[in-house]
Amino acid sequence: MRRRASLVLLALAVFCAAMAPTLRWYAFPRLAKIPANQYQDTVLEARPATLLNYSTLRAEKVDKITIIQTLKGNVEESRRIERDAGRDVVVWDALAYVTGPDGKMVSKVPERYIFDAHTQDPVHATGESVDGDPVRREGIEFKFPFLTEKRDYQYFDAQTRTSAPIHYKGTRTFRGMEVYYFEQTIPWTKVPMPKAMPVKGITPKILADSGLTRWYTTKRMFWVEPVTGAPVNGEEIHKEELRNAKALMGQDTLTVFAGHVKMREDYLRSVGEMVSSNRLMVLMLVSYIPWSLTVLALALLALALWLEARSRRPEPEPPAAPAPAPVSAPL
Amino acid sequence: MRALVAAAIGLAPVLLFVLLLTVVDLPPDGPTSPKPLLTADPAARK
Repeated sequence: MRRRASLVLLALAVFCAAMAPTLRWYAFPRLAKIPANQYQDTVLEARPATLLNYSTLRAEKVDKITIIQTLKGNVEESRRIERDAGRDVVVWDALAYVTGPDGKMVSKVPERYIFDAHTQDPVHATGESVDGDPVRREGIEFKFPFLTEKRDYQYFDAQTRTSAPIHYKGTRTFRGMEVYYFEQTIPWTKVPMPKAMPVKGITPKILADSGLTRWYTTKRMFWVEPVTGAPVNGEEIHKEELRNAKALMGQDTLTVFAGHVKMREDYLRSVGEMVSSNRLMVLMLVSYIPWSLTVLALALLALALWLEARSRRPEPEPPAAPAPAPVSAPL
Repeated sequence: MRALVAAAIGLAPVLLFVLLLTVVDLPPDGPTSPKPLLTADPAARK
């Protein structure tokens, strides 16, 4: 009976011991993925900011600039691309819509970002674009991969349409959560005019024909929760200028936009809550369940060995029967 | 010999699980959200 129990325990121990690494290194990379139908909006603000007034052609201080960023998973497109790519793909249609203090449009930049749902490696397919221009992304954008590492990543900058390193600058605590802090600086770079201009009658072509050029620099900062790879906070110190503007605007350089852009408080809270719940699910697969199985496997193995050893121990000899009293023959 | 059989019995469901993950596709994520790409500041989140 003991021997049978020890064999059952051994089978269970083997199951647990084999399941632990299988979950961590085989199941997790296949099960953890960004859903193709995700929808997420974020509001960022720069308070105060400098903004070009196109009617006076002067840069003015304004109370705030609002950036409304929406990411919307395009399921039909992801299925179409998956058929050719042979892997799970996410297609994000994104829009960064910037409004001035009066709520009117300052600029809008639509994007299509296509990437692997598990690893977040970029996937190159027709439709990958920024503001209608085809691009070929290297590295990541918007989000970091699951199990983010303490290293630099290539991060795509939509304004310059190029990728550059985003540097890991250390581990920080953000609202009680351990996060990795990343920073990327894009030096002054000439960038294309946006397709949509805030003033009717002014088109990118008119500006380009006048010899105006648009320049941009930014310092981008992300506080990333490393298990999910989701940024729980993002900030940008952003400056844009029009140069060669003397003939048209009276001075050579005009500030179009300057400000320190930060996530709005209500979005910081809601993103934090969402990341906390997703973090728990990922941790279950990569840590909690595998480690519990490992400990259970060791305990079951020890129990199995103990039972086996006991079953092999020889049974104690039954106590010897008392020796019969000597019988003496009657005389 | 019995120990080997027990170990094989323990490994079998793990191999089955691996096979299942390899063969079966994850369920689809559902349709594209009907919500639009925002062009106005949405109401503050609670």
